[in-house]
Order: sequence, then structure tokens, then C-alpha cells
Amino acid sequence: MKNTDYILAALFTLCFAVCGAQEILNVTISSNFIFGGGQQSNFATLSLQPIAILDAEPDPSNTISFGLNSTTLEAGLPATGVGGIATNENIWLNYTYRGVNFANAKIYVRTNQIVPAGIVIKIQVIAATSIGGSYIPNQNSSPITLSSAEQILINSFASGYTGNGLGTGYNLRITVENQSGLSLPSGFEIIYEIK
Amino acid sequence: MKNLFIITVSFLLSFSYSQAQILAGTLNVTGMPSFTQSVNAVVVEAGVDDASVGFESNFDATKIGFVLDPILLLSSSLLCEQNVYRYKVYINSVNAPANITIEAKTTVNSGQRFPTVSIYDTLLIKPLGQRNLMPSNGGNYIVVPNNATQAVKIMEFIGCRKDIPIQFRIKPSSLCPAGTYNIEIKYTVVASLTL
Repeated sequence: MKNTDYILAALFTLCFAVCGAQEILNVTISSNFIFGGGQQSNFATLSLQPIAILDAEPDPSNTISFGLNSTTLEAGLPATGVGGIATNENIWLNYTYRGVNFANAKIYVRTNQIVPAGIVIKIQVIAATSIGGSYIPNQNSSPITLSSAEQILINSFASGYTGNGLGTGYNLRITVENQSGLSLPSGFEIIYEIK
Repeated sequence: MKNLFIITVSFLLSFSYSQAQILAGTLNVTGMPSFTQSVNAVVVEAGVDDASVGFESNFDATKIGFVLDPILLLSSSLLCEQNVYRYKVYINSVNAPANITIEAKTTVNSGQRFPTVSIYDTLLIKPLGQRNLMPSNGGNYIVVPNNATQAVKIMEFIGCRKDIPIQFRIKPSSLCPAGTYNIEIKYTVVASLTL
């Protein structure tokens, strides 16, 4: 290799290191700016909004269906799937929360209507994961029997975010015990609330 | 080899001597930036960090300028016309809350030359080049280090200059509690005679 090649390579390396980097200055060394320079400061105020948003994924297709499968019905044969116990483990709760002055929050769950007699709906947090999120899981791991009264699904937590979408946040198991094959009233919803 | 040594020593001596010749000036910083997050600047997708949204200040939230100090009967304008230096401006913040990213920028040739017209501009060969302003990172935002010691270069300009606008962008993580914070933003100017 010629000497000129070495020199060019060294110059290229030096330029890459110097040209590409941001210039940093130690501002506590006054000799850096005392000759003809100067140093001043001003004050800024920063005001941040509180945030409390919650999402049940998949969104918007997070409807849970139980009961009769009309495509398998055949006159003269027994209607299967009318009653019994059905389970769904494909719902994930995502949240982003920023409290005021380090105040914590909880996530509550309830139904928007009275659960009909003969139907039992249970909800349970079965996993907590984070893909691109930053939060400390603190779920109530016991199964909760839903009613129109709010109950704690996620215990007290600090500001954070779970990551967005399926596979991150809190994984829910929803179980419907419906031995008599009853229907839920129209517009029946499970409500999650962060506060 | 001997000649090379003499040239090198002469250059270094010249540089040291030149630094001592730079006239004193005053850095002027005006504006009390108020970074207020509006409800429209908050993340709307649950699970996503609020830092992914961010919000900007006015383009001239702060204005800075640097002019030479008058000497006896010689005005700042006259001194700035006859003494053209290179000024590098560094920025850092102090006491910003954790999990907040503050970015700053200015634009090419922002602010005003001082004086507006100068004999220097008519020189056939301008020792330091045109009396222009060159922002760092091509005029895109740079991260302001929240560090009392280290500052990053935000711009450099040739000759005295006034009313250079600085715009800020705030990227607040959801991990940072809501509320109001006071942040000190420091500016350090380094003068030189070098190219």
C-alpha cells in the first residue's frame, strides 16, 4: 500500500469522526468563552397535560361473541353450542397514563347494564407483557365476576405506557357461563375505565 | 523538517496571539419561552408514549444576539464593522425534568447582521467568508443536553448579529408527571479568528 493511501485513509477516518459529530463544549471552563465570547441564560416554563387513555385491542373489532353458531344448525339435529361455558383470551388492554404530581391510577371494569340472571361473566388478567412500552404491571390476578358496579382490574400504577396493539399490555381472559343459552340484552358492553 | 517545525510553532503562536486580540462583546438573550402542551398535542392512541407526538414553541421563542462592546468613543456598530470574528453558539439546559427531550433550532441566515451594511462585505477576499449564519444539523432540530456542564453547538455566524430566533420542540414522555416546571436554558458564545 502506498503512503498516500494510508494518508487518505487516515484523513477519511478523521473527517468521519470530526465532521459527523456534533460539537460539544464544556461550558464550565470559562477560558472557553472568556476571550470575546459570553454566556447568558433565560428561564422557560413547561406545562404538561395529564393523560389517561385506555384501549381494548383488537380495536375496533373487539366484540366478543358466544353462543349459537348458526352455520352449523341443521333441522332435526340438536342445537349445539347454545349453553355452557365459553372463553376468550384474545383481548389486550393498552393504556397511556400521565398523572398529576405523581398521582397513581387504577383501571376499573364494569358492565353498562345489569348482567341477566342465569349468565355469569368473569374477567381475569392472565398476563402482562411489554412490547415497546414502559410500565410496571400490577394487575389483580383473581377472576372478577362482572356486574354493573365497578371493580378493580388493575391495581395502583404510576405514569407509563404499555405499548400499542395485540401482544402488549394486559392480556384478559373473559369467561361466560351461560348454561341456559340466554342472550345478553342489546347494547350490552363491558366498560374499562382508567382513573 | 526544521522549516516545518518553525511554521508549526509560528502558526500556534499566531493562534494564541489572535485569541488575545478578540474584542469583548455582549451576548443578549431575550424572551421567556412558555412551553405549554395543548390538549391537541397529546397522544391519542392508548399504549403509545406521549413523546412520539411532541409540540413546538413559536419560531422566535427566544432571540439572541452578540455585538461588540463600545470602547470610549467607538460605537458597537463601528467596532463590529471593523472587527469581524467567527462566533459559535452552544446551548444546554439545566433543571429540565427527567424523561423530557428539548430540541432547538434556528434557520440559515436568521437574525440580522450588525451593522446591516459593512465595509467587510465589500472586500474582495473576506478572511472569514460572508457574514452569514450557519445552523447546526442543517437547520433541523438538535437535542439540547440537560447537563450543566456540556452544551451542544446550535449555530455559528460570522460578524456581529442580532435578533437570531430560536425555536424549540418538546418531546415529553408519559413517564414525566403532569404539571409545570421551570427550566434554565443557557447559551454560550465562543469567538475565534479561525476559519
